[in-house]
Amino acid sequence: MPLSRRTERRGGGTAIEDQIVRITSRLVAPFIQVYGIYVILHGHLSPGGSFSGGAIFGASLVLVALSFNLETGAKQISHQLASGLESGGAFGFILTGLIAIAIGGNFLANRAAGFPMGQAGELFSAGAILIITVFVGIKVASTIVTLFYTIIEGEE
Amino acid sequence: MEILTGIIDNYYYMVAIILFVIGMYTMLTHANMIKKVIAMNIMDTSVFLLFVAIGYTHGAQAPIIKEGADIIYVNPLPGALMLTGIVVAVSVTAYALSLVVKIYRFYETCDYDEICEIRSLE
Amino acid sequence: MGIADHFPALIVVVLFAAAFLSPLLYRYAEKISAPFVIASLLLSLLMSIALLVQVQQFGPVFYHMGGWPPPWGIEFSADPIRVYILIVVTAVSLWIFLYALRDLKHELKKEVIGWYYTLYSILVGSMAGIALTNDLFNLFVLMEICAISACAIISIKEDRECLEASFKYLILSAMGTGCFLLGVAMIYMATGYLNYSFIQAALAEAIVHYPLNIFTAAALFIVAFGTKAALFPLHVWLPDAHASAPTPSSAMLSGLVIKIYAFALFLMFYHVFPRGMLTTIPLNEIILWMAALGTMFGSVYAMIQTDLKKMLAFSSIGQISYIFMGIGFHHDLALVGAFYHIMVHAITKALLFMTAGVIIYSTGVRKISDLAGIGRILPLTMLAFTIGSASMVGIPGTGGLISKWYLALSALEIGRPLFVLVILASSLLNAIYYMPIVINAFMHQEDFIHEVRPVPRYMLASLIVGMFFVIVTGFFSRPVVTLLEQAAILLF
Repeated sequence: MPLSRRTERRGGGTAIEDQIVRITSRLVAPFIQVYGIYVILHGHLSPGGSFSGGAIFGASLVLVALSFNLETGAKQISHQLASGLESGGAFGFILTGLIAIAIGGNFLANRAAGFPMGQAGELFSAGAILIITVFVGIKVASTIVTLFYTIIEGEE
Repeated sequence: MEILTGIIDNYYYMVAIILFVIGMYTMLTHANMIKKVIAMNIMDTSVFLLFVAIGYTHGAQAPIIKEGADIIYVNPLPGALMLTGIVVAVSVTAYALSLVVKIYRFYETCDYDEICEIRSLE
Repeated sequence: MGIADHFPALIVVVLFAAAFLSPLLYRYAEKISAPFVIASLLLSLLMSIALLVQVQQFGPVFYHMGGWPPPWGIEFSADPIRVYILIVVTAVSLWIFLYALRDLKHELKKEVIGWYYTLYSILVGSMAGIALTNDLFNLFVLMEICAISACAIISIKEDRECLEASFKYLILSAMGTGCFLLGVAMIYMATGYLNYSFIQAALAEAIVHYPLNIFTAAALFIVAFGTKAALFPLHVWLPDAHASAPTPSSAMLSGLVIKIYAFALFLMFYHVFPRGMLTTIPLNEIILWMAALGTMFGSVYAMIQTDLKKMLAFSSIGQISYIFMGIGFHHDLALVGAFYHIMVHAITKALLFMTAGVIIYSTGVRKISDLAGIGRILPLTMLAFTIGSASMVGIPGTGGLISKWYLALSALEIGRPLFVLVILASSLLNAIYYMPIVINAFMHQEDFIHEVRPVPRYMLASLIVGMFFVIVTGFFSRPVVTLLEQAAILLF
């Protein structure tokens, strides 16, 4: 049995009850999310990429859950969905690698397997890299949310 | 004298090594578990610094290839590797911290010596 | 290109794919999640065997990830020794998983079993990757994956001992990987490569200009892999971690995880550092003496334990030292002994942990002194324990003898008879702490007093499989030894 004295803190009762924080975070969150998606999608063109973008996107979801409470956060993305997306994102990465084998390259091959390259500098270029970046972005964002939920809910 | 100039010329390597030793010492000797995790990060970061310092070339440009121009580029590989290293360090840190949280729920303390005391009393 | 060309990558990929899908399957289709993991382990085992055939027919296989050739891309390589380790890893983990299916139901909460499957597959996948990879940085990443998943299959039980043990393990193994990465930086500084083959070629020249870098890297590698593989003075994390974990995790950690790091050190010595270096600086000597002390102290510590699983954990420290001793002798017969011991000890120690798990499941007894008379209640289990301990001691007819035989033989060949004495003495010490348990279990006059639950057939079946293989490795060692001899002779 845990010796903890803090069991009464369950259920997100300690969330911040501050209007300024809530309104600001509600206003800012969509912009952070769009920025996160931008960073993910432009991973092959500019600094940043799946990890940074995914972390930004995940942070916005954590921000909402922190400034409101867990229930509001769960309305955006539930723990179940987040961990499902986590598995899905990682599996998508592997699937992209396997598609490369199926169309005749080595595992995770890009141009060598025949993914369309496009014009360098445009959004839809660099073949498999964009697909992989999106999957890894999903994986990173959902991992950050899952980590947050796991540490918060840990006692159940 | 030769060693001394060697050290002065390569001071950025020395900084990395000193950080590494600080991290390792703290990690192994401090009883506070949060400090252990922080020290683990200092240790990892020092190696990342060392790697990035290896890749640096004085007066070189970012490795975005311009056709036809004769430019020296910095080595992009250490940077890419260290990005991976940072991700790995983040996941280890997250896992270590969640372990600390769980241990704290059992003992109400983050101090390893106190935990040993509590256990010896049982 | 046929699908067989992609086996080096697919072996690892199949396991990781299984890892990511199994929590989803466990949530939505619980019945098929365990068979799914079994199928993936079986698939990777079959692919490893096919790879062995391929390697023996056509020579070493190199696989370039994404079609990028080295030194830019990540390279996987398969030679006979690596594939042999691969087969040991996949086969033993498949066997342990079959045992785990039943055992986990009473050791873990129901919700986390799906995650256990994930961690288990990731662990096996990362070990297969460590055996195959030909790239230092890739090795670092796989080592971290292996370390996290190994800690997690301990802490998943969520009682106090497990959490503390896995925290200790995590911190010390983070120290290990930190040292490893620093060593990689030193080598990268001197050569500019991360691929083993390129480094080996470049180091032959670089060692003249930057000897300090290379020696520091070698020292850091010994500390890194020594910590992770529990080489004697760096073993402090092992007993707690291996003793408190759920039984399948203990079997996995003691059976395979520590060995894969010993194997990685072997790869560093023979595939990364240039050939002549091991003879110019006394690296082997250091490992040899640490290992010799380890065989002694591991056994001495094991003798004074009162908890069965803790005793088995300390015994692992003694046994891993044999493998390091084999690496330290720097002789082909010694390597044969070391690699044979990797297989034998993986099977034997897993079998012993399984018997301990069965005893704990059936009677709840963990203390060695309470085991008296248990042989009449659980005859098959104690028979398995007897055969396992016979192999630990090295009694003829078990696999343990073969590896010790080769180690002793090579000690004589290189003119170090002292180490024959060390091997003999440590065998005797092993006998001192294993045999009384066996004798007490069968010969004790009074009846066994604790309550006994019937043992599930699944568990008994895995014990029988283990006994069978311990005996088989004792009597039919020829094919494996031939394979290892042919491979080892090429290294010198």
